[in-house]
Amino acid sequence: MTEPTLRVLVAIPAYNEAGSIRTVVERVRASLPDFDLLVVNDGSRDATGQILTQLGVVTTTHLCNLGYGRAIQTALTYAQRCDYDVLITLDADGQHAPEQIKTLYTENLRGGWDVLIGSRYVESHDYSQSPLGRRIGMRIFSWLVRLVGRRHIYDTTSGLKIIRRSVFEPLTRWHFIDFHAEAIVYLLRLGYLVGEYPITVAERRHGQSMYSLLSHVTYPLKTLLILLIGIVEAELTRRSRR
Amino acid sequence: MTTHGTIVLIAVGLTLLVWILDLVRRDRLYVGYGIILLVAIIGSLLLLVVPPLLGWMTRLVGALFPASALTLLALCFIVFMLVYILAQVTVVSNRLALLVQELAIRQAEESPRPAPGTHEPQPLEGRNGVDS
Repeated sequence: MTEPTLRVLVAIPAYNEAGSIRTVVERVRASLPDFDLLVVNDGSRDATGQILTQLGVVTTTHLCNLGYGRAIQTALTYAQRCDYDVLITLDADGQHAPEQIKTLYTENLRGGWDVLIGSRYVESHDYSQSPLGRRIGMRIFSWLVRLVGRRHIYDTTSGLKIIRRSVFEPLTRWHFIDFHAEAIVYLLRLGYLVGEYPITVAERRHGQSMYSLLSHVTYPLKTLLILLIGIVEAELTRRSRR
Repeated sequence: MTTHGTIVLIAVGLTLLVWILDLVRRDRLYVGYGIILLVAIIGSLLLLVVPPLLGWMTRLVGALFPASALTLLALCFIVFMLVYILAQVTVVSNRLALLVQELAIRQAEESPRPAPGTHEPQPLEGRNGVDS
């Protein structure tokens, strides 16, 4: 079902993922031989860079850690410049199964989505597997997206996304924190199609989550602020387009 | 304020003036920041040496005592400077991030072309219809 005319880039942002990056790259190569692969090494201080060199993967290496949002932005800019039609992002921690991407990609082509999110909760609506704080946060942001974006997105924090060329420009024009609820609302307010498709996610086996104890407090506040400013920004962008 | 206090503050103000001018001269302080600080110091010195001006300022801000008016003005200035400096830090930080990203992308674009059949991204140069 893959359209041969479309150029697809799979991008994996990685920060200190020496324990899992080799497996993730090998699984992507094995399951998605038609797609190009790019790893954004976001200033890793462990052996991630060396492993990527051994694997011969094309890598954009940030000289210092810029954060997940900037890593995604680097991938978007690369995809835009290299004339790709679709960008697929997935996490480097091995939680996303690359084998599921083909189905997600096919659904993206079928549905004509500008962004299709691989969602853990779209079918079950069950957040009970997540820790309490995270569960509350996800419910709040899902509700906020529904309120201001007029679309129910159950998994706003998923790192597995199929992003079409149509949104490369808006996503690189403005700044986002982690391309989560704030980016979804921004795109929805601009009239782009954002949807979800069910996926399963494995437990993290190596490395640490990018969210520290402090970020559990700062992340929702920062996301909320950018989400609200994003509504204004999207409105201004819409007016300037008229 | 006592004459002694006024003299001390004027001396401090003049020292700061000389220091700021020297920093600007040696390119250790951006001229724009230097202007802001010079205006603030000269303004404070004027308030100190012209008592009617201080009285007028006290009434303007609604303070009961000149010292309260000066404290309020100083706090406002500090908050303004804090916001301004954080904004400048953000600008510099964004520029640095852009530079790091640009360097990373160019490095990837110039990396060796993978063997045919590996389906890895290719450098822009040599790709049909795409100029770097």
